This record gives sequence, structure tokens and C-alpha cells, in this order.
Amino acid sequence: MGEEYGFFIGCTIPLKLPHLEKAFRDVAGILDVKLKEMEGVSCCPEPVSLQSLNIDTWVALGARNLAIAEKMGVNIMTICSGCYETLKTVSVLLEEDEEYLGKVNGILNKIGYNYTGKTKVYHFVELFSQPEWLEKIKNLLIKPLDDLNLAVHYGCHLIRPSKIMRFDHPEKPVKIDIILEALGAKTVEFANKLECCGFCARLQEEIGMKLVEDKMTELCELEEEVDALIAVCPSCTTQYDRKEKIIARKTGKELDIPILYLAEVMAIALGIDLEDLSMNKRSVKPTKLIEKLTT
Amino acid sequence: MTEMLKKNASELDPKFRYEISEKIGAKSLLKCIQCGVCSSGCTVTEYVDMQPHRVVASCLLGLKEEVLTSQAIWTCSLCHRCTERCPKNVDYSFILALLRNMAVQGGKIPKEYSGSIVTIYNNGFVVPYTGGLKDNIDKRRKRLGLPQLSSPNLDEIRFIIEETGLGDLAKKEVDE
Repeated sequence: MGEEYGFFIGCTIPLKLPHLEKAFRDVAGILDVKLKEMEGVSCCPEPVSLQSLNIDTWVALGARNLAIAEKMGVNIMTICSGCYETLKTVSVLLEEDEEYLGKVNGILNKIGYNYTGKTKVYHFVELFSQPEWLEKIKNLLIKPLDDLNLAVHYGCHLIRPSKIMRFDHPEKPVKIDIILEALGAKTVEFANKLECCGFCARLQEEIGMKLVEDKMTELCELEEEVDALIAVCPSCTTQYDRKEKIIARKTGKELDIPILYLAEVMAIALGIDLEDLSMNKRSVKPTKLIEKLTT
Repeated sequence: MTEMLKKNASELDPKFRYEISEKIGAKSLLKCIQCGVCSSGCTVTEYVDMQPHRVVASCLLGLKEEVLTSQAIWTCSLCHRCTERCPKNVDYSFILALLRNMAVQGGKIPKEYSGSIVTIYNNGFVVPYTGGLKDNIDKRRKRLGLPQLSSPNLDEIRFIIEETGLGDLAKKEVDE
């Protein structure tokens, strides 16, 4: 448990949603996860458009970030599913293909880097879902979330393709659920649980609208009231939060389930004050959830 | 449904399948048995002009132009269920990335996909981080007690982008 990680914060969270970074840093502080800041790293780079434009650019920029970690002598901890997908895919591709690694190093060598293929890449869910960390979380709970019913959104890039991500079951994942259960919360099962948020389907806005509407409508109609949808990726989090509000306005449906990032609920359970967590920095305000937590 | 396509064998590109399959990770293309599992589980199957199994069939047949100009290759949400479920381990989502790369080389890039490289070239991040925007981000981070962001090394990032062939695209958009 004492391993030190290179903290790869990415772009969207630190630049657009820094309150999520703060929640994660709070959690890491309480659980004593040793994080080392990574100097000079770039965007992971973003898996959807960069991979689409040119796979070699995507791999080489990713390999530079992996090489920086290797130079620091650490493995990488990510807090975004996009960063996780890029860096893990690049590390696996280069681990399995020596010729390609040589080609990438041909470029990296010219700017003073060499990647030997040693860097391992993790998402924080991977760490905290391990038995010893779950035990530590349970021991440090200040405010168990006993009254909460939470729905989990895994998102696609965390778990698939499983031959590369090697993270959890690609169609029946459990790792986020078991972390929430360790916090004392109940998690709900629902038909649309594994559906994509549609954020990466950039060409047609309607695809995302339909996917968000289907999932949020189902959650609002469940017999047990759902207090929040929990996500681990800034893109999924933003997609549901913004579109849920727009759809509610457009259709007149009463959609009011707030979207929280996993580190935020972990921070609450581990005793961080709600006022320090920017809970209202979202379109769908978690008013009922806050009431439940404070009474 | 797409219109019936009539083509003479001489108009097909028999090398297209190998252009794809010779690339790292795309050898699996040749194993497709047209079972359609990819299309049945596809997140965007009702929105595309060509479903996944038909894109693969078209690649195998040599319908290069039809594939590279299809809207299907760009509509995908990259949920990776096709790759996950394929009984023959055809890595469709990776093949799709290759097809997009080929379309880009032919100059066909939807604007939704071309902006990121410009932003990364100029900022190192995929989010703008210069001038007033940078000041605001820095202030907000400071208020939350977060450390100052480490600036990406732009010279190195630009070198990689240019060396791997996206320099023109990244710089062209800057001039516009």
C-alpha cells in the first residue's frame, strides 16, 4: 500500500472541473496515497479525436508521458477514464510490439526521452477496489452513507476493450459498486447501467440526448428513489449533468438526479465538509442529497 | 437503408483489406465471418449509414471510397462493445480508428474532430490555457487550494506532432 504514484491529472478535470481534483486530493490525503506531481506532461492525449486523426501521434504523445513517469521511477495514477484509456492502451501496445516501441523511441530519443515499456497505468477505482484499500476506507469512515441509494455509471473506456484494460468484467463490472458499498451506500441495479453516455459520438448530438434521456428516465422511475448517479470520468459526468437539465426542460419530465464524481462521495464519507466540496457546481443541484446528508 | 450499389469488379480495390490488416492491431479484419454481433450491440447502430458488419464487409470487398466517405466511420461513440463481443476477435473499434486515419490523409476530417490537435499544439492541454483563460483557471485553482499547474513542454509536444505528420493540420488551423 505504500507505493508512490505519478499523479497524472489530465486536462478536463484540472482546467474545467478543479473541484473534482480537489475531492480526489482530499481522499488521497486521508487514505495516505502517495502522489508525486508530474512536471511537463501534456494532454494524455485525448483518445477520441487524436486516435482518429493519427494513431502514431496519439501513441507518441502518450509514450512521452509514460517516459516521464519512467524517468521519475513511478507508475501512473489517473483520475479520468480518457487519460486511463489512452495511457493504458499505449502502454499495452508498446509492451506487446517491440518494433513499434522502437519506432516511437526513434522520435522520443530526439527530444531526450527513451521509453523501455515499464510504466503501469492505474485508475483510482482500480486501487480503492482492492481488499486492503476497502478495509482501510471502512476503518476511516466518518460519515457512512447508509441512507443513500446510488446508481453507478461505469462508462465505456474504463472497462473496454477488456483485452487491453484488464480492469473489471467488461459487461458486468463491480469495482465501483464495491467501493460505494464500503462507504455504506446501497447501489441499485438497472437495465441501462452499462449504456454509453454518448459524449464521444460527436457527429450527432441526438445520440447523446437519447442515451442520457433513456438512462435518467429509467433511474427516475425506479421504485427505490435514487439519490445520485456516480461517474468516474469528467466527460460522462458533464454529459449527464448538462443534458439531463436540457432534457427535463424540453420534455417536461421530472429529471432531477444529480451526478456526482466518485471521489466526491468518497470525500463526504471520509469526513470532508460539504461546504468544501463545491456541491452546487453542477446544473442539477444535489439539494435533496445534501438535506439527507445533513439531517 | 442504403441504396443498392452496383459496381464492376474492376472498380473494386482488392488491396484495401491489406492496407488495413497490415497495420498494428488490425490483422483481425480478415477473420470476420459476418455474424453481425457487432451491429446488434452497437450503441449507434440506428444512426449510421452503414452498420459495423457492413463496414467490415465493404473493407473486405475493396469498397474503399464508400467506406472512407461514409458517415458511419465518424458516428461511432467508441463504446468498444463490438470489439468486446466479436466471436472472432475482430477489433472493430481499432479498425475504425485506422479508417478514420485514412480518411484524414485523404483530407476528409469532420470539424468536430480537427480542433483538438490545434488546441493541444497551442496549449499542450486539450483545453485552452493561455492569456485571460489561464489567469481565470489559475485563480480558481488557487481558491480551492490546488497547486499551480505544471506547464507542458510545448517545444517537445510540437516536435512530436510535426514528426508524426499532423503538423500541417495543427498549424493550418492556427493561420485561419
